[in-house]
Amino acid sequence: MCVRVLLVEDDERIRQALSLALSDEGFPVDEAGSGEEALHRLETESFDVVLVDLTLPGVDGLEVVRTLRSRGDLPIIVVSARADACDTIAGLEAGADDYVTKPLMASVLAARIRALLRRRGPGREAVRIGELEIRPQEGLVHRAGERVHLTRTEFRLLLELAGAGGRIVTREQLLQKVWGYDYFGDTRLLDVHIRRLRRKIEANPDDPEVVLTVRGTGYRIRS
Amino acid sequence: MRLTLRCRVTLSFGFGLLVVTSVLAFATWNLASGSMLRQREASATRQAEVNARLVERSPGLDALLTGPDGAILVLGPAGPRTAGRKIDPARLPTGLVEHSPATARITVDGLPMLVVSRPLADGAVYVELFGLQQLERTFAFLAAVLVAGTIGSALLGAVLGSWASKRALKPLTELNCAAGRIAGGDLHARLPVQADPDLAALAAKFNSTAQALERRALRDARFASDVSHELRSPLTTMVNAGAVLRRRREDLPGTAGTALELLTSEVDRFARMVVDLLEISRADQTDDPVPEEIALDAVVRNVVATRAPVRLELQSVVVLGDRRRLDRVLTNLLDNAERHAGGAVLVSVRVTGSRVRLEVEDAGPGVPGRMREEIFERFARGGGGDGTGSGLGLALVREHVHRLGGRVWVEDRFPHGSRFVVEMVLRSSHG
Repeated sequence: MCVRVLLVEDDERIRQALSLALSDEGFPVDEAGSGEEALHRLETESFDVVLVDLTLPGVDGLEVVRTLRSRGDLPIIVVSARADACDTIAGLEAGADDYVTKPLMASVLAARIRALLRRRGPGREAVRIGELEIRPQEGLVHRAGERVHLTRTEFRLLLELAGAGGRIVTREQLLQKVWGYDYFGDTRLLDVHIRRLRRKIEANPDDPEVVLTVRGTGYRIRS
Repeated sequence: MRLTLRCRVTLSFGFGLLVVTSVLAFATWNLASGSMLRQREASATRQAEVNARLVERSPGLDALLTGPDGAILVLGPAGPRTAGRKIDPARLPTGLVEHSPATARITVDGLPMLVVSRPLADGAVYVELFGLQQLERTFAFLAAVLVAGTIGSALLGAVLGSWASKRALKPLTELNCAAGRIAGGDLHARLPVQADPDLAALAAKFNSTAQALERRALRDARFASDVSHELRSPLTTMVNAGAVLRRRREDLPGTAGTALELLTSEVDRFARMVVDLLEISRADQTDDPVPEEIALDAVVRNVVATRAPVRLELQSVVVLGDRRRLDRVLTNLLDNAERHAGGAVLVSVRVTGSRVRLEVEDAGPGVPGRMREEIFERFARGGGGDGTGSGLGLALVREHVHRLGGRVWVEDRFPHGSRFVVEMVLRSSHG
């Protein structure tokens, strides 16, 4: 499998070091030094995953994430030097699938990429939850007959929840299965994704009827 | 003890009004009572004159009596004739009879009386006594009204003073409130704009001070954020270049290889230290998410699942807090046990009353008494260890536990080793 990774990072030394280290991990990297360059290349070439630094001159990282998300469900990992909660949440809200904080090891990044690109589980039957129909084979979700566009991560999240058939899925299980996190259950990562998912599949995202919160433990699908 | 400003204002308002109204009441009393008495005297005199003329014509006195307390005496050479209340003529003031016409006030049998004497044509003297009870009652009523009014106005003054001082001090109360909020960490606190020129200057100064403080806090935060960014970026380059080099360790035999190993391991340690340092400097910032209910036993199971196996004794409990902090606390305690005591031997979660204890036990050399506080300080090195720690692990544990509303300490474990105890408030338990 040859995975094409695009690294958007304005600091040339970081770009080089990360490219070298990621190549060692088995991911050859294409580099872009600015948001404009990245968006331009992404229009003409196809990549499997994009790593975006948030602080870019000109078109900044958040804008890149937003633009890419509006174009499709290409996996995006935010690579940020800012560890503040608000930056993290902004990146995830903009549509990123995951985020890592500098200084990061290429091995960690590689694990994240692998988790994001992991293939969907072996063929499962279509699942119906109320108005919602999930077809794991085709990766499609319909709500009342109308197609709902989910990113790959949102889809996997929904599938993990649906697969439990109404049983509680803990936050840790979700983080582990969807993002490949060992521990460090990052609440924000999961919270933002659940929020995004609800916005797309719930009739009223503030009063969810499909993805229910189980306080203290995790989530479950209304069975 | 000094009275408060408000108390003093209240008292002086009350006292001031008391003085003013007493003076007014006193004057009113004098004027009113004097004039009423004079009126009564004038009317009594007129009556007596009329009566005296009537007495000269007809000898009957009873028909002339006006009130139940009144009395009439006609003192003549033929002896006294009386009507009404019995009065001993000897008890009348002497000058009254001798120098009539005259008027006097006397007390007969405890009753106030007005005595009027008029000379009669036959050399006798007509004396009439008028009861003054009615007037006395009016005076008593007037006095009562005036005293009550005086007291009432003093009380009103006190109330007014209290209200006025409250109003006048309202900006001070607001100032106090705003200063309290700033002291409590809310740098957005400001005073409302004051219309009163006396207070506007104070409010403006306070607000500009608060603004300067806020700006400085923002600048400090931005500086910390910049430093964080400036440190993280080169470290990213370093750890990743280091990782690339470490993969090619075999290509660099001998001295260069050893130097490479030293370099990369130190870079890794440096990176860990910077991350911990940035975390601890951020730990006192208030960007915590809303505390959520967390199953502590599940957190422990999760953290431990990714590490070397260790015996667990877990009760299922729920605590309130930030999951990320709990993760860090346990991870750092386990790291600490690995570095200094050959790894944890038992991790337990148990309920003691209204609290939960998360304990990490090791079978290492233990922590001597004098070090038990010190090891939770930043960069306190308890000797031993493998030298790969950042020196901040336990300090971070303490910061996080503190933010979780709990406390942490270390104690001896039997027969040897140490036990790190994190105690937090229990939310609920089921099992």
